[in-house]
Amino acid sequence: MSRRVIALLLVASPAAAEPADTGTVAADVGDQAIGADIGASAGGRVTPGGARVQGHYLYQLSDQDWFDGTATFTYGGGGAACFRDRMNTFVCEHGIADGRGVEIAATVRRFFAAQGDFRPFARAGIGVGIVNFGDDSVSGLAIPLHLGGGVRASVAESIAIVAQADVAIGFGVLNKTLGLEPQLGLAVTAGAEFRLQ
Amino acid sequence: MLALIGCQSDDVSRRLGARCDVTADCAQKCLTPSGDWPGGFCTTACTSDSDCGDSARCIDEDGGVCAFACVAAGDCTFLGSAYTCAQVDSHGGQAMVCRGG
Repeated sequence: MSRRVIALLLVASPAAAEPADTGTVAADVGDQAIGADIGASAGGRVTPGGARVQGHYLYQLSDQDWFDGTATFTYGGGGAACFRDRMNTFVCEHGIADGRGVEIAATVRRFFAAQGDFRPFARAGIGVGIVNFGDDSVSGLAIPLHLGGGVRASVAESIAIVAQADVAIGFGVLNKTLGLEPQLGLAVTAGAEFRLQ
Repeated sequence: MLALIGCQSDDVSRRLGARCDVTADCAQKCLTPSGDWPGGFCTTACTSDSDCGDSARCIDEDGGVCAFACVAAGDCTFLGSAYTCAQVDSHGGQAMVCRGG
């Protein structure tokens, strides 16, 4: 798939900011890279939260922008937290670290000018995932938009460490008469990236 | 109407006040649908009022269960029109709680 096609498939791109020192960022990140993060996410109600593991595939789109394909696993705890209120409406009140989720997302990461050893970036895109709250037999499909940012610092010729935060806002279609429900989550992760080319 | 729905969802929970048919619908215990508990009533076992929190009393039913405290029938409308404020036995005394009228 050409870079132009990938770029057209993505619905959002971080807003323009100060130009990156493009020669350096391309050499730093590389044409392609892979990465892995671990961290925590906060959800609540019908958005899963808990421990988070992410995998990334980066592909250069332009001097400043990289396609950032992400696979995310969220593993939280919690027991049953749904009930029927007096109007007989099914309601869920899960905590911020309850439930499980798996998601793939297509985002664009835009790098900005380096600040010392750190290179900040912004990230935006869209994902699709499955959410599950097993003790309530609640599950469904979630479609969140992602907005976030972070910093990247090279620690070796092809290795960098990355820390980032991400806000996910969207909606989910859930079973058990819940129907369309909002999804809102916040995640903080850190990990390493490895340049492939 | 929206305010009423919001209030009801906020005031009841799996521990106290949610509708139920079976124990699994609740955090601990379901008083199954009946004239006393229209729609079913999730509750928890108790031995004294302190087990039930500020808004509930421990009553002599089913070995001791929590029920919403009330002063007048209007205090129970959030549970539905079938609920009223009634006097029941409570540890050798009496308590006013919401239950089926």
